[in-house]
Amino acid sequence: MQVQELVTLVPWTIVAQICNLFLQVYLIKRFLFKPINEMLAKRKAMADAQIADAEKAKNEAQAMKAEYEADLANAKDKAGEILATAQKTAAVRSDEIVKAAQAQAAAMKTKAEAEIEQEKKKAVNEIKNEIGGMAMDIAGKVIEREINEEDHRKLIDQFIENVGEQS
Amino acid sequence: MNVSITGAKILYTFPIKVPLLGRFTITETLLVSWLVMLLITGLCIWLTHDLKVENISKRQAFAEMLVEMADKFVIGNMGERFRYMIPFIAALFSTSVISNLISLTGVLRSPTADLSTEAGWALVVFVMITKQKIKTNGFGGYCKSFTTPIVVMTPFNILSELATPVSMACRHFGNILSGLVINTLIYEALALASAAILGLLPGLVGQIASNIPILSVGLPAITSVYFDWFSGCMQAFIFCMLTVMYIALEAGDE
Repeated sequence: MQVQELVTLVPWTIVAQICNLFLQVYLIKRFLFKPINEMLAKRKAMADAQIADAEKAKNEAQAMKAEYEADLANAKDKAGEILATAQKTAAVRSDEIVKAAQAQAAAMKTKAEAEIEQEKKKAVNEIKNEIGGMAMDIAGKVIEREINEEDHRKLIDQFIENVGEQS
Repeated sequence: MNVSITGAKILYTFPIKVPLLGRFTITETLLVSWLVMLLITGLCIWLTHDLKVENISKRQAFAEMLVEMADKFVIGNMGERFRYMIPFIAALFSTSVISNLISLTGVLRSPTADLSTEAGWALVVFVMITKQKIKTNGFGGYCKSFTTPIVVMTPFNILSELATPVSMACRHFGNILSGLVINTLIYEALALASAAILGLLPGLVGQIASNIPILSVGLPAITSVYFDWFSGCMQAFIFCMLTVMYIALEAGDE
């Protein structure tokens, strides 16, 4: 079998080895770098997407938080309003109640006064009659004779009237 | 006992003679080169089948590590604009390493133990360097650069320009060839020594035993750590490093 020299340059072999080198470049690009780089790009895209998602979720959460805070503030305001209204209503009502009570009391007082007045009048009239009777009895006993009761009664009434006015 | 160290075997010669290039011959170098290419491509396919985005296997992690190493090597030394050089450097390095180490099988001859292989690679690198020079300085600037610092220096400048690929090719080739020569010598010497020692045994036993190179087991493994493993990886690395450095140097700063 023929052999080459130990140190020699064979033009065809040089050409063939250059072709082999470029073929190898293509093969290694096609079978190692392309799939790996594609996969790495995919992984990067996934990571980016996850970060974007997280960002979005964060933004949403913040928006929700802001909304809730606004709602809470709103609710607080409303509660304050309701409280104020309730206090106002209560104040008005209590005023009304007090007024009504006062009016009732005044009415009761007036009625009571009227009753008292009536009772007083009634009592005065009773006393008048009694005193008149007694005076007639006394006068009868004093003069021992029956006088015209009708006349005397007028007199006595006049007298009592005078006494009442003076007292 | 004669020890002969020759070049690659010529397995087939095409009968047609092409002018300038001569006859095309299929040598051991080419055959093993194709085997190396098959090996590398097969390895790439095996490494990258069934890739996953998440929850990756050890095999995929290794493939990713290789790609990242190549990226880091090229971009770290040449910059981002030479990203397109990554597959070339990776192919050059892997072909060189596998070619150097394939001689460890014991039956195959390294394609890199043939100067033609390295000459081809160095030629490609030389073209790339020159292209980069012309790209950076323009064709006029490139021609003019030979006359610096003075016109008299032109022949020396041309020589030094040619010295780059020649030295690159010869450095790589010389290291691998020396490894091959030394390993062959060690094997042969140990075979001779074991034949001499075992030949002392009397009768037929001695005759049979002297044909078994028993001493060849052991020591060559130790020497091959340097001559094959270290030298093989180192020369591939140096070749790629020089390629990267020359091109980056000629590109200058962006």
